[in-house]
Amino acid sequence: MGVTIRLPGPLRERAGRRAAVHVEAATVRQALDALEHRFPGMRFALCEETGRLRPYVNVFLETENIRDLQGLETPVPDGATLHVLHSVAGGAGAGA
Amino acid sequence: MPAGRKYPKGTVVLAVGTKRGLFLLTSRDRRAWKPDGPYLAGRRIFHAVLDTRDGARLFAADNGDFYGSFVRYSDDFGRTWKDPVRTIAFPEGGGLALKNIWIVEPGRAAEPKTVFAGTDPAALFASRDGGRTWELNDGLQRHHTRARWQPGAGGLCLNSIVVHPTNPRRMWVAISAVGVMRTDDGGQTWTFCNKGTRADFLPEKYPEFGQCVHRLIPHPVNPDILYQQNHCGVYVTTNAGNSWTEIRGNLPSDFGFPMALDRHHPETIYTVVEDDTRSNVGDQFTVYRSTDAGRRWQRLTRGLPKGPTVRLGVLRHGMCTDALDPCGVYAGTNTGQLFASRNRGDSWKMIADYLPPIYSVTATVL
Repeated sequence: MGVTIRLPGPLRERAGRRAAVHVEAATVRQALDALEHRFPGMRFALCEETGRLRPYVNVFLETENIRDLQGLETPVPDGATLHVLHSVAGGAGAGA
Repeated sequence: MPAGRKYPKGTVVLAVGTKRGLFLLTSRDRRAWKPDGPYLAGRRIFHAVLDTRDGARLFAADNGDFYGSFVRYSDDFGRTWKDPVRTIAFPEGGGLALKNIWIVEPGRAAEPKTVFAGTDPAALFASRDGGRTWELNDGLQRHHTRARWQPGAGGLCLNSIVVHPTNPRRMWVAISAVGVMRTDDGGQTWTFCNKGTRADFLPEKYPEFGQCVHRLIPHPVNPDILYQQNHCGVYVTTNAGNSWTEIRGNLPSDFGFPMALDRHHPETIYTVVEDDTRSNVGDQFTVYRSTDAGRRWQRLTRGLPKGPTVRLGVLRHGMCTDALDPCGVYAGTNTGQLFASRNRGDSWKMIADYLPPIYSVTATVL
C-alpha cells in the first residue's frame, strides 16, 4: 500500500506537477529519502544541510505534526498520509 | 530582434530585487521607464544581475521564505527560469545551513561562464558553467579564524565580490562583521585586508578582522584601487587592500550601506549615509557625490524628497550606476521608491513607487 506524501503548491513543479506521491517507507526520513530518489533536489527544499527540517516546513502524519512526535524518525504506518505544509509565518521577515 | 531578446540594443535595463519579487525597468532614453514583472513573484530577491558576457542571462538570488535559497537564471528576461542542477549548499552534515544568498557576481570578461555568489553564513561559491552547477570555495571556509567570525545584525553575509580583471588568481570578498579578504592563489588561501579600517564597536579599534564592511566596489581601470562603505566610515585603498585611507571628509555620518562610481570618471563616487535611525540625516533624502575620490562630498538633492515624514534608507546593493556617459545613477529605498538620475546625480526623478522594500538595483546597457 505504501505511504502517500501530499505536497504543497510551491513544490509540485519539482514533482512533475504532482500533488501527491506514493512511496515505500517505514519512517518519515525514509519517505523523504524516497522522495529525493525520485525527484532529486526535493530534500534540499524540505531540509537544511544539517539534516533538520527547514524552520518553516512542517510535516504532518495525518493530523499530527512530526515535531511533536519523533521528528524525522517518526514511524509511518502502511497506508498513512504525510502532509507537507509550510508554516503560517505572518508578515514579518528578515531584511537584507 | 533575435529570439529570446525582448529589448532592443541600447536599452538600459534595471534589475530591481525586492522583498516580494524581481522587477525590470527599461528605458531607451532614461527619461521614460517601463516596468515589467514582478518575476519570481512573492519571493525575497536579495540580488539580481543581467550578465551580458555571453548573451543576456539574468541571475537572481532567490531566498524564498520556506523552501530554500537558489540562484535561478533566465535567458528570456524573466519570463521563464531554470534552477541549478547542483545548487548552492553546504556539505551535508557539516554543521552549516544556508540562510540566504546575498550577491551574484559575474566573473571576468575572459571567463564568460564563471559566476560567483556570496552567502550567509559567509561563503563563496563559484559556477564555471553559467549557473548550472555550483561549488563551495573551501579555502575561505578553512580559514584559521573561521570559527571566530561573529555575525552582525544583518547576518554573517558575504556581500561583495570583486575579481581582478586580468589576474585569475586574485580576487576580494567583503564579509559583514569580518572585513575584506583577498586571495592571490585562486582561492586556496585568503588574507585579511583590514589595515586602517575602524571597528568602533569593538574594544580594539583597528583589529585584524571583525570590521563591518557593507559594500566593496572596484575602480574600473586600476585594479589596485577599491572603495568600501563600512559601518564606520568610507575608505579607499590604492594598494589592492594592503591598507586603507578614510575618505569620510565632510559626510554627515560614518554609517551607510551602498556605494557606486562613475565608470567613465572613476574619481566620481556616490554613497548614501544614514543617521542613528537608519534613515536620511535630517529631513532631506540625499545622495552624496564626490568628484575627487572622496576628498569632498557634495549633497545631491534636486528632485529627491524632503519633509518631516521623509525617512528613507538605501540598502547595500540598492544603488548603482550605468555604463553610459554621463552616467545614470539609481537608488532604491527600503520603503519601495526607486529614484533615477540621467545626469550623474545632478537631478533626480522617482521612476517607481509602492514597490516592496528594495534590496538591490543593478543597471545594464544592452
